[in-house]
Amino acid sequence: MTHSSTSPTTTPEAPKLKNLALYRYATWLEENQLKRTAVWIAVAAAVLVRWTVGLGPYSGQGVPPRFGDYEAQRHWMELTIHRPIQEWYSDKSKWWDLDYPPLTAYVSWICGFVGAKINPDWFAWETSRGYESADAKLYMRSTVLVFELLIYISSIVVFTQRWFAHKPWTRQHTALLLILLQPGVILIDSGHFQYNTVMLGLVVWAVNFFLSDQDVLGSVAFCLALGFKQMALYFSPAVFAYLLGKSFRQGFFGCIWKLIKLGLAVVLTLGLLFSPWMQSKEEALQVVHRIFPVFRGLYQDKVANVWCAVNIVIKLRERFAIQDLVRFSTLATLLSFLPSLVHLIAKPTKRGLIYGLINSSLSFFLLSFQVHEKSILLPALPITLLILDEPAMGAMFNTLATFSMFPLLRQEELTTQYYILLGLWVWMTTGTFNNVSSLLKFLSAVSFHLFDLYISLVFLNSYNSIRTPLANNFFTHFPSIIS
Amino acid sequence: MQTSLFVLSTVLKVLLFPTYHSTDFEVHRNWLAITHSLPISQWYIEKTSEWTLDYPPFFAWFEKFMSIFAAQVDPKIVQVDNLNYDTLATIYFQRTTVIISELVLFWALQRMLTVMGNRPLQKIINWSLMLNPGLLMVDNMHFQYNGFLYGILVHSLVDAKQGKLLRSGILFAALLNFKHIYLYIAPSYFAFLLRAYCFENSGNSIRARSWISAFRPLNFLALGVSVIAVFAASLGPFVAMNQLPQLAGRLFPFKRGLTHSYWAANFWALYSFADRIMIVLVSKTPLGQYFNLALDESALSATTRGLVGDTAFGVLPTVTAQHTLILTVLLQIPSLISVFRKPTFDRFIGSVVLSAFASFLAGWHVHEKAILLCTVTMSVAIANQVGASPNSGVNAGAFSTSDQKGSSALTPRDVRAFMIVSLAGYIGLWPLFFTRPETPIKVLITAIWFVVIGSGLDQCIPKQPKSNNSLLSSKSMLRYFSILERLYVFGCIPVQIYVNIVHEAVFGQDRLAFLPLMMTSVYAAVGVVYGWLLYSATYFSSNKVLDKKKTR
Repeated sequence: MTHSSTSPTTTPEAPKLKNLALYRYATWLEENQLKRTAVWIAVAAAVLVRWTVGLGPYSGQGVPPRFGDYEAQRHWMELTIHRPIQEWYSDKSKWWDLDYPPLTAYVSWICGFVGAKINPDWFAWETSRGYESADAKLYMRSTVLVFELLIYISSIVVFTQRWFAHKPWTRQHTALLLILLQPGVILIDSGHFQYNTVMLGLVVWAVNFFLSDQDVLGSVAFCLALGFKQMALYFSPAVFAYLLGKSFRQGFFGCIWKLIKLGLAVVLTLGLLFSPWMQSKEEALQVVHRIFPVFRGLYQDKVANVWCAVNIVIKLRERFAIQDLVRFSTLATLLSFLPSLVHLIAKPTKRGLIYGLINSSLSFFLLSFQVHEKSILLPALPITLLILDEPAMGAMFNTLATFSMFPLLRQEELTTQYYILLGLWVWMTTGTFNNVSSLLKFLSAVSFHLFDLYISLVFLNSYNSIRTPLANNFFTHFPSIIS
Repeated sequence: MQTSLFVLSTVLKVLLFPTYHSTDFEVHRNWLAITHSLPISQWYIEKTSEWTLDYPPFFAWFEKFMSIFAAQVDPKIVQVDNLNYDTLATIYFQRTTVIISELVLFWALQRMLTVMGNRPLQKIINWSLMLNPGLLMVDNMHFQYNGFLYGILVHSLVDAKQGKLLRSGILFAALLNFKHIYLYIAPSYFAFLLRAYCFENSGNSIRARSWISAFRPLNFLALGVSVIAVFAASLGPFVAMNQLPQLAGRLFPFKRGLTHSYWAANFWALYSFADRIMIVLVSKTPLGQYFNLALDESALSATTRGLVGDTAFGVLPTVTAQHTLILTVLLQIPSLISVFRKPTFDRFIGSVVLSAFASFLAGWHVHEKAILLCTVTMSVAIANQVGASPNSGVNAGAFSTSDQKGSSALTPRDVRAFMIVSLAGYIGLWPLFFTRPETPIKVLITAIWFVVIGSGLDQCIPKQPKSNNSLLSSKSMLRYFSILERLYVFGCIPVQIYVNIVHEAVFGQDRLAFLPLMMTSVYAAVGVVYGWLLYSATYFSSNKVLDKKKTR
């Protein structure tokens, strides 16, 4: 993955566009003068898929005492509508502390406010902990979908329009459909239950603004993304380098003026988001402590992918102190995105920006400390945006990204949705299975699952246990794969 | 082969696994149990569950075949007394059998594509049928095996198109023994096969004198013996066991009322609605005394309370089963005569559509699901026509295609009738899904289908050189629709917003619960009746049945 690869990729693995059923569909639309309706059809289809996935169980459904991410989000709605704003981050109820930045809290407040109008029981203070009902699930699912529609899906529509502005419409529409049907995002947000698409959508909106040279607006959008989920920091080196490099090309005064504008935009946006907690130092620190548990010195024994791979050969945690590991991983992360940072400052092109986003987020995902398996959605986003520019990489990466989340999804009994969406993705990106290598790739993934399924069925019958033994053995021996 | 269609339809159907399933799910589970665990002699006797076996014997055998696998998956599925068993494994198994059985439809559609001419129009119809919102809702959500059965029907129709009439007849006879609802269209089959297969068929009318010389006794014998053989295979064992009356009682429960629990979108929906209006007029205004109308008090709560049973009317005369039968036959006869005069496939398929309509509109205790019979056969009728292809210029699709001999060009009227009937009929299916999570699904699949298929068919209408330019300059998919038709299409939106959202917000779940159902049924009934009139007008004007003799 080099950012200098501006030439159209014609790697042998890349499928020919005509092989893609979606491309043929886009051609049909164009021949029948349906370009205007096509976007609405695509959005409707994307919503339909998300909604049907949402019929499945969510994270921690019916699993007391702590439940899961669904309960966390529901509790934040309960918290924000019942407590004064100053207490949001200092609530001591020991029940799913709010540990996301303020924009998440504001969004939770909106959802809670509207939800409590429909049925106050869903978000009643303290009594609603672990509240589960079909209607509450329905409401929560629809809030995710509404925000996704307003922020993420709209951003993708605009992105494809700007990115493919000088390319044939059929390419633009194919890319739109592919990006909207990327399986990872659907499975995590509409299945597992999270609001990642708000953050991802804001990042794409930032990219959209950068594409049309509205850098100030782009910075505001990116700060909003940061203000929704701190994980957007994975992208920040690239955004920073792009804007800095662009400022340097404006001449001396132009550069100063641009930096002042951008700095003001960042400070004002973040300041506005955090303003309720700015009255005293303690409050501000409390917010920061919650959002970045790093400062509390609390490290969970979760190691990211490269460390997990190394761990098989060298038992890192036995040989090194945890503090050393933190320093080492941070240094490694910095080193790994540094070249791309320098390159982006020297040559701040729009294409380079997206490659930079990939590099920096992938560096964080692979090398930084305390990474969740769901964080793979971050590098997956810019990689998916380049789905027609780097088709082989985009198809492959998303397949593996979704595969890496399989243990999580199986635990939540979303396996059917997983198989279907992953199969759909592989089929959509390889065109037909005529291509032998793509078929082999898919079959190898499927055969792993089938083997796993077989083992679990055999053991299920003999031991009557719900957890699948292979998964347990496999993932206790290699624990870091699944966090 | 249309791989994309296959992949996408499978993906969507599997994603629909967790959706709401109706009591029909338990019906079919119970049938799996009955056919697996009991001897044949008990199949139509057994009544542990209230959902007794009420499909013909072939379907029972089909269930028995599936129960072999069901017993492997989970032996509890096939226990007769294990009522309302719906574990996740059971749901996955039964939903999978539906998807697999619908491969029969996929196969039939691939045959239809080759036989009818592999063109954009035919491809669109294939997409329309395989991803049909009606079939998706009824089969993959509500739970039934219609895709499989319509697959057999399409096979039979394709055989008829190919001229393989004997096979077509045998397939249809078998179909009747899978599900007897297809009796609705049996008259058309009878008229067509009798005339086209048992008489000399030179494509012309036969003069009165030469009927006897045109008769082909060998064909008649072949057809008769095969059809009787099919029925014997199906009903024979039960005749031998003296169970025929019991079987007939199960298949034709005449104790049921005129309308289903909520009204199917047919004449009787409109009739019942008119009755309701008149009840209000008579009881609330002095009009009743003025016209000296009496009110049947017992009827006031009957029709709209969702009770299955005798339907009573307040003001209008009561309708009996005999009335509906006579009306149905009267409505079917004109198209049957048309087929009998000149048994072309064009006339035959049109007559099948009109027979389906007649039964749906005027039949006794019609299910809203029976609309599929109209829309599926209409789809085949459209696939049989010649459409324009967007690549080949202005005059594409004119009558030059040699492989489409005898087929007429697709007209705007066909498309309008088809789209309006489909829209009305599928919206008429929406009340089957009263659970909230299914609401977005039923709306989205119907809306996406309407826009994609409507636009696709619109582009397939061959452009007439002489038609006025205002139509052609518009790119809207509704450009051929009249003002009233457009109003109807867009009117669905406010009506359904009221039915699905506003009503419950204003009145709550219990008060005036019949009102949204009635609105949906009546609105849908208007569309279906209108589409039927439009289709009939096209059929009889293009076939020139009435002025045939004058032109000679």
